[in-house]
Amino acid sequence: MTEPLSRWSAVQMIGRGVEAAPALRRGFGATFALAMVGSGGRVVVPILVQQAIDRGLQKDKVDVGAIAVLGAIGLCVVLIATVAQRTAVARLGRRSEEALYGLRVRLFEHIHRLSLADHSEERKGALVARVTSDVETLSQFFSWGALAWLLDGTLMVMVAGVMLAYDWVLALVAFATAAPLAIVLRSVQRHLSAAYDKARSRNAEVLTAVSEVVSGSETLHAYDAGTHYATLTKQSSHERSNAFIRANTIGAFLFPSGEVFSVLTVAAVVSVGVVRGPAAGLTSGALVGFIFLTYRFLEPIAEFTEVLDQTQTAVAGLRRVLGVLDNPIGPPESAHPVRLPQGMLGVSIENVTFGYRSRGDDEEPPVLVDVSAQIPAGQQVALVGETGSGKTTLGRLIARFADPTIGTVRIGGVPLTAVANDELRTRLVVVPQEPFLFDGTIAANLGFARPLLSLADLEQAIVDLDLNDWLETLPDGLFTQVGQRGGQLSAGERQLVALVRASLVDPDVLVLDEATSSVDALTEVRIGRALEKLAAGRTTIAIAHRLSTAARADRVMVLERGRLVEDGPHAELLMAGGAYSRMYESWIAATASTQ
Amino acid sequence: MHVKGADARVEGGQGTVVPPDIGRATQALRLIRGLLRHHKGLFFTAVACAAVFAACTVFSSVVVRLIIDKVIVPRFEDGTVAASRVVAILGLLIAVGVVRAIGVVGRRTFAGRTSWRVTESLTAEVIDRVVAQPVPWHRQQRTGDVITRAGVDAEAATHVLNPLPFASSVVLMLILSAVWLLITDIWLGMAAVAVFPVLIGLNLSYQRRVDRFYDTAQDELGKLSEAVHESFDGVTVVKSFGAESRETERLSVIASRLRNARFEAIRLRSTFEALLDGVPTIVNIVLLVAGAYRVRSGDMTIGELTSFIYLFTLLAFPLRLIGFALSELPYSIAGWNRIRELLDQPLLDNPALTLRRHAANSIELSGVMFNHDGTRDVLRGVDAVIPGGRTVAVVGPTGAGKTTLLHLIAGLIAVDHGSITVPQQGCVLVFQEPFLLAGSVRDNVSMGRPMSDDQIWTALLAAEAGFVEAFAEGLDTIVGERGVGLSGGQRQRIALARALVGHPVALLLDDTTSSLDPATEARVLANLRETLRDTTVVAVASRPSTIALADDVLYLADGQVVAHGRHEQLLATVPEYRRLMEAFEHERAEQSAEMLP
Repeated sequence: MTEPLSRWSAVQMIGRGVEAAPALRRGFGATFALAMVGSGGRVVVPILVQQAIDRGLQKDKVDVGAIAVLGAIGLCVVLIATVAQRTAVARLGRRSEEALYGLRVRLFEHIHRLSLADHSEERKGALVARVTSDVETLSQFFSWGALAWLLDGTLMVMVAGVMLAYDWVLALVAFATAAPLAIVLRSVQRHLSAAYDKARSRNAEVLTAVSEVVSGSETLHAYDAGTHYATLTKQSSHERSNAFIRANTIGAFLFPSGEVFSVLTVAAVVSVGVVRGPAAGLTSGALVGFIFLTYRFLEPIAEFTEVLDQTQTAVAGLRRVLGVLDNPIGPPESAHPVRLPQGMLGVSIENVTFGYRSRGDDEEPPVLVDVSAQIPAGQQVALVGETGSGKTTLGRLIARFADPTIGTVRIGGVPLTAVANDELRTRLVVVPQEPFLFDGTIAANLGFARPLLSLADLEQAIVDLDLNDWLETLPDGLFTQVGQRGGQLSAGERQLVALVRASLVDPDVLVLDEATSSVDALTEVRIGRALEKLAAGRTTIAIAHRLSTAARADRVMVLERGRLVEDGPHAELLMAGGAYSRMYESWIAATASTQ
Repeated sequence: MHVKGADARVEGGQGTVVPPDIGRATQALRLIRGLLRHHKGLFFTAVACAAVFAACTVFSSVVVRLIIDKVIVPRFEDGTVAASRVVAILGLLIAVGVVRAIGVVGRRTFAGRTSWRVTESLTAEVIDRVVAQPVPWHRQQRTGDVITRAGVDAEAATHVLNPLPFASSVVLMLILSAVWLLITDIWLGMAAVAVFPVLIGLNLSYQRRVDRFYDTAQDELGKLSEAVHESFDGVTVVKSFGAESRETERLSVIASRLRNARFEAIRLRSTFEALLDGVPTIVNIVLLVAGAYRVRSGDMTIGELTSFIYLFTLLAFPLRLIGFALSELPYSIAGWNRIRELLDQPLLDNPALTLRRHAANSIELSGVMFNHDGTRDVLRGVDAVIPGGRTVAVVGPTGAGKTTLLHLIAGLIAVDHGSITVPQQGCVLVFQEPFLLAGSVRDNVSMGRPMSDDQIWTALLAAEAGFVEAFAEGLDTIVGERGVGLSGGQRQRIALARALVGHPVALLLDDTTSSLDPATEARVLANLRETLRDTTVVAVASRPSTIALADDVLYLADGQVVAHGRHEQLLATVPEYRRLMEAFEHERAEQSAEMLP
């Protein structure tokens, strides 16, 4: 998905970036013009020195009046330039932050709408990085790099212009002497960024090692391995120091090479200037002015090379950000949604085949193959099968977290692709295996199901699921803090919150991904009770990991390597002596304790 | 003390980490003295190079004066100048420039060396300390906080060493320039020198104010990161309830706070940037006009005036950077203080030393009491003798103190009362949550002990971790954060192999096999019986099938031993125990009754 993008050139990339964040373009011309005026302030002193020497400071007669007039003009220019520069910097900064904010909002929306396959565990960190660190790279660029392009770029143009106006021969001499500096700097810069890349990865290694020594302290103590791992960590820290010292040493040559080239250029300009002399129309003031201008001209070059590197980093960040925006969003919203019928809804699965989008060159085998089933309204269905059988995927397709590659899923007779997302989410609710809770109170987490519910509504829902006794055990009732990811609650309590949350939507179809984690006996009883209440009168599709759940359902669908191999009531399937009865037998054997 | 890592900069910036009774300057001196306990030589080399740079910078203005007075003016006003003189003066210009550049290279190189070598020493000191502190100390700390102190703070503390030589060269440069300017022309010199403190003051006040905004922005960025993380983590819930737009809106509000904080910083910064460019220019213009009078009265040459202005131009840049260089100081002080706090904590006693040891391989508990953080009694007088070579299952409801009991026997924590006697060689514990370190399978099993490949393979196979054979790199396969992804069960089996490889006399399993499927679990337990015939095994267990495999059951409830005997015996005589077992079996029994005619 991001593959074609990587072939785009930096310029095209920036073009696309501006397209994605239109606030950047707004008023850029004016900002540039202001920066140009601002740079004018920085050539005032060289010009003034030249003018003063040529007009007022002759060896024998000094015209103080003329110099005072020149000074007054200079002061006015500087004041105007200072205001212009301030405005330019402020404009650039504001616009870019405005643009990046817009970009972030687009990313939030887009990423939330990406399919769950794009939200896999291994990509989660990357998605967070897109909105945080990658956009930050751009922000860094705008506050330093882009500013340097704007201010130093206009300054160099301005200085070069003044030099050429004074004496084009000397200007060319200056440019020619200084030109190799650009090459020197580029090569230093290239070594430098490679060295810093290495140093940064060494740094990451140290931080990992440190964090392991700390978070694994109990294991290290239990195995008396503290000293060993401390030694490894110190070694890793030593290598980090070496890497940074190397990078730092390379970097030490950047700025001073500019210095050396400035003196060489000044020497060249003065030599040529002295040889040419007044006969060529050169004045002493212009030559002195040149000395000042040469320093001004070369000053930003060292900064430029650093900026170039930063620009590359920013373009790389931009590329990753745009790559995410290019990812198609999850199941697309129907353009002409069909309303679902009122009342209970059945689910029908028609010749469904599903394969995850292949990520590498290998063709991945489909997860589901030609699955069909009619689930009448109100039926309690259990999907069973081993890990990798496709039962979780089938549950996801019914919840429309993804669309089948081939085939159709209908709810209440309407194809899922034709149902408006907002309506679907009020008629069908998923209770995931490991329910996720947001850091906050239980009430806030329940309210996530439907905003604008009153406290009484929440309490009623808890009563309805027969969970009063549980609520009473909580220290602050509904206002109990659940902690990050609900960590303050036990796994079983998190499931209880998820069940109440689902019941608040009052859905017609319930997709339950059964939990595997063990919970204490009392909570187990509560969960069972709440589940029964919640499932009553709704079409329920349970992805069952325990066969006891399957045994309780109206109907069991057995999946094996993506195919529906058995379908029928629990007792019947046991009699049939097929895959299900084998699974059940081995489960009985494993859980048997007294024989 | 509980300052979150991400907040360190903020806290430092606002000075809350700095004790109010000690001034910033004292703090800074203490910091620098503390940092420079090692690697003084490197640091002073950097400072010496910085001095060369400062001297050359001031001297280069003298050269400029020579160029104007001895080369340009004679050539343009008298018509001629000796070529040898031109060559000599320009040669001097180049020489000074090159020496100045060498000074910069030296300063930067040695400053970098100093700060990284000091970071290294500091990290080593912290790591040694962290490793030396026993488990009870670690349990009092917040893991993230210690990680920040050991990792990021050590680096932050030394940051100040990088710009320090530069800052000292700026000071030297200012002194030399002041002297030079005053010698050249007392009146003009005084005017110019008076401007230095103004520029430095402007700079420092700007830095302090803008840092506050950047800190706020940094803080907001941290909050945004946290919220984004959580929101993307919960994407399934967000999608389940069709809350995509609501979430976008919530995150946008947080992002807009970041944007607004940045706006403030930009507003301030644009003003100061412009002023820091504008003010030196204005001073230069004033100097030029005033200088014209001095030239007219014959007190100064054109070259002197020009070099005066030239020097002032050269100084404007370092003056701009001095605030920037010093802005690291508060963060370094904060980092240093946080590290000192960690290092200054007394080394706690090693709980393993409180264990009694004997030659037999039985484990004896007598009146063991343990109180969790002084409030809740976890164990309230546990007495038990676990005979050598037996396998005992520790069973009990959640919160009964099973894990605590194992940690006490392992010597990770110490009893409050009572005593524990263990075999001479101690016990090996396998944790409930396996912890694998980033590294190879081999490292994770051997944990730094000298082990042959055969020994490691034997342990892996006994732990049913034969899946390692399927990895292309075998024992060298990297596991952990950046390595191959392992399932919970696979991680647990590698952790088990880690315990088995040393042929323990006593093995403590904390619900170790619960993440394995029943069949694998049965094989692991069978292997244990076979390979560790004489080993005493104490296993916390929750599955009836696991419990049934033990020789004895130690039934623990509410911090006390309720019963100790064979599983069947306990089922028959302890109703509480039977109820616990039945809680699991109840469902199954019910289903079977329904189903079987």
